[in-house]
Amino acid sequence: METKAAVVVDAVPPFGHVISSEKWRNSSLTQSLRGAGVKLLFENELGVTDFHLPNKSCILYVSECDIIAGTSYKRRLVRFRNSSSSFQELVLVENTRLSEQYFPAVQKFVVFDLGLTLLPVSGQTEASQLIAQMVHGEGRENPFRRKTSSRLLDPLVLALVQQVPGVGRVKALALLQRFSSIQQLCNAAPSEMEPIVGQTAAQQIHNFFHKPSSGS
Amino acid sequence: EASVSEPPAPPGPVGILADSRCISSGVELMACLRQRHSATVHVCSLDGSYFIVSNRMAVERHSQSDLSSTQNRKRLTERVNSLQGLFERVCLIVEKDRTKQGEASRPFQRTRYYDNTLTALVRTGVRLLWSSGPEESAGLLSDLARLEQRKGQGIAVPLEVKGQRRQQALELYSSLPSVNHAHALNMSHNFSSIAQLINSSVEAIQKGGCMSQSRAEEVYRFLRYSCDSLLLNTLKTGKS
Repeated sequence: METKAAVVVDAVPPFGHVISSEKWRNSSLTQSLRGAGVKLLFENELGVTDFHLPNKSCILYVSECDIIAGTSYKRRLVRFRNSSSSFQELVLVENTRLSEQYFPAVQKFVVFDLGLTLLPVSGQTEASQLIAQMVHGEGRENPFRRKTSSRLLDPLVLALVQQVPGVGRVKALALLQRFSSIQQLCNAAPSEMEPIVGQTAAQQIHNFFHKPSSGS
Repeated sequence: EASVSEPPAPPGPVGILADSRCISSGVELMACLRQRHSATVHVCSLDGSYFIVSNRMAVERHSQSDLSSTQNRKRLTERVNSLQGLFERVCLIVEKDRTKQGEASRPFQRTRYYDNTLTALVRTGVRLLWSSGPEESAGLLSDLARLEQRKGQGIAVPLEVKGQRRQQALELYSSLPSVNHAHALNMSHNFSSIAQLINSSVEAIQKGGCMSQSRAEEVYRFLRYSCDSLLLNTLKTGKS
């Protein structure tokens, strides 16, 4: 395939805007995007990509017609995947009464073979609503983004020590006062634990850590 | 990441772990997984209703209406956050709602909230798969497990442990922070005793648990973490 020098694969639109491939100029999708308050910039040189969003994602749109007509959309998808931009690549797929029988195969190709993200829509109206949400939601806090919690480890250590058979909360606390980490406790000799938990328990704890737990 | 050389011999059946809560909501799916896709499914008790298809991937099923109802938001974010802590890859299978017998299937009403949820999930790297029902979901689960197996991430040890001692070790490994049930299974098969794991290097933990390096480092540090005796005192008075 020839490389086209002028393709603006890395153009990020300003906030509230979408860069759309020229071919969508008179579509109902871009009209409803406008209706939803999204500003559009049309561009001739987006390559295979249909839309660029301000959150650095790009969209390829696969229509019902594409799917029913057959394989050429697969080539577009491969080119889209290989365009190696720094954008998150999303594929919107029209899943309609006519195309639904092909949907599992399309999904397999897009997600399993190409490793891209697929979002089904029923048509251009739903697609425009989804794109508008992506544009307007930019900058909003994402509830699924994991907060790196600085968990206190002490209660977790305590809980783990209580998993040792015969060791309840009281004994676990007493043992950790003396051997402050799991490793130290594990490597303590029974005689060292004896004054804290008694002879029987001391031997039992030692066995729990050291007796083979795998194999026969 | 695509491997050029296909493994010559067909790999064995894929191993999938399922939380016991997956049974009540998925009798059909389980049967399908075992019979049609000849997957080895082991039911166990996980910290939520999800499937484990590899050492690093968890899969949860949600109905479309589940994702579009604002009442579920808190539960969904908690679930996803907790899975993200335990697995490198989290995948949601979004299933079409079942229609009752004789009821005409109503088209799904897409809401702004639903679109927001999808966008947020995709932005955090959660993978979404779409299914028309339990049968298709079973196929997707099996495909995911097979793909992970091809990438060398499949669960390669037996899915259950036998004997009380090994069972106790498995439970202890599962309570290590950031260790999922598949890692714990690997550990109980690969370390001869609990002491062997506790005294292992980061590399040995990574290898024995079939986990990422950062996870193994976390385990290593946790096992050596020195508790604060003042804090232990407050824990003592706190509960007794």
